[in-house]
Amino acid sequence: MIETILFYAFAILIVVAGILTVTSKNIFHSALYLAAALFGVAGIYVLLQAFFLAAVQVLVYIGAVVVLTIFVINLTKGITGKNVPLVNKQVLPGIIVSLMTAALIILALLKTGGFDMIAGSDTGAGNTALIGNLLLKDYVVPFEVVSVLLLAALIGAIVIVSRDKEGEK
Amino acid sequence: MILTLTHFLVLAAILFAIGVFGALTRRNAIGILMSLELIFNAVNINLVAVSRFVTPGDIPGQIFTIFIIAVAAAESVLGLAIILAIYKKRATVNADEMNLMKW
Repeated sequence: MIETILFYAFAILIVVAGILTVTSKNIFHSALYLAAALFGVAGIYVLLQAFFLAAVQVLVYIGAVVVLTIFVINLTKGITGKNVPLVNKQVLPGIIVSLMTAALIILALLKTGGFDMIAGSDTGAGNTALIGNLLLKDYVVPFEVVSVLLLAALIGAIVIVSRDKEGEK
Repeated sequence: MILTLTHFLVLAAILFAIGVFGALTRRNAIGILMSLELIFNAVNINLVAVSRFVTPGDIPGQIFTIFIIAVAAAESVLGLAIILAIYKKRATVNADEMNLMKW
């Protein structure tokens, strides 16, 4: 019962903060609402007994991605003032397309059926140890590939940003 | 009322649609990137929920989600770096003004 209440609380947080993220007039507020929505997703992970993922979500998304986004917003401040329109002329088609996407997925889900299963009585104990074992045994090759990818992204970002206006180092 | 897999999948579908709406309607390239983060999170909720309900005790969905978070962080870093480079060069972050390669 308490799980159901928490689920609806987090779901409302996610949906409201998500809608404010994509409709807010100020791009800075938008980034803060994004942090709230991502925090709600971390709560959903806790409900799903993915405790390690909830911690990773808070650390990586809220701690790194949102902070980085806010830095870039501040660095490009001069053109994101109050009078700059933040939405293009596709609002009505956007509403139609996104509503139809949601309706399609949800209808397919409900018509297919069989998704009304109930979670087992797994308590999620040892979740972090299990993930650590899997990452360093069964999934060690993708783990290393991802570390190389992150290094490449780091170096790429430094190279792209460190050029000045004339395109020189 | 007990939580079923459908609850989580419907929530993920709604979040996905919100992200699609943002990606379609934002002018600001940073706003588009933030909408993409919402879409990634919708997919992650799906993966973790299906992993929890369909294969209890085994967690392939959570492993996938960790890799998606890592790749999304790399994508976000590179996207923001490209936006900063374009801002330095052309003094705009609006996606509809980045038309240098448009025929």
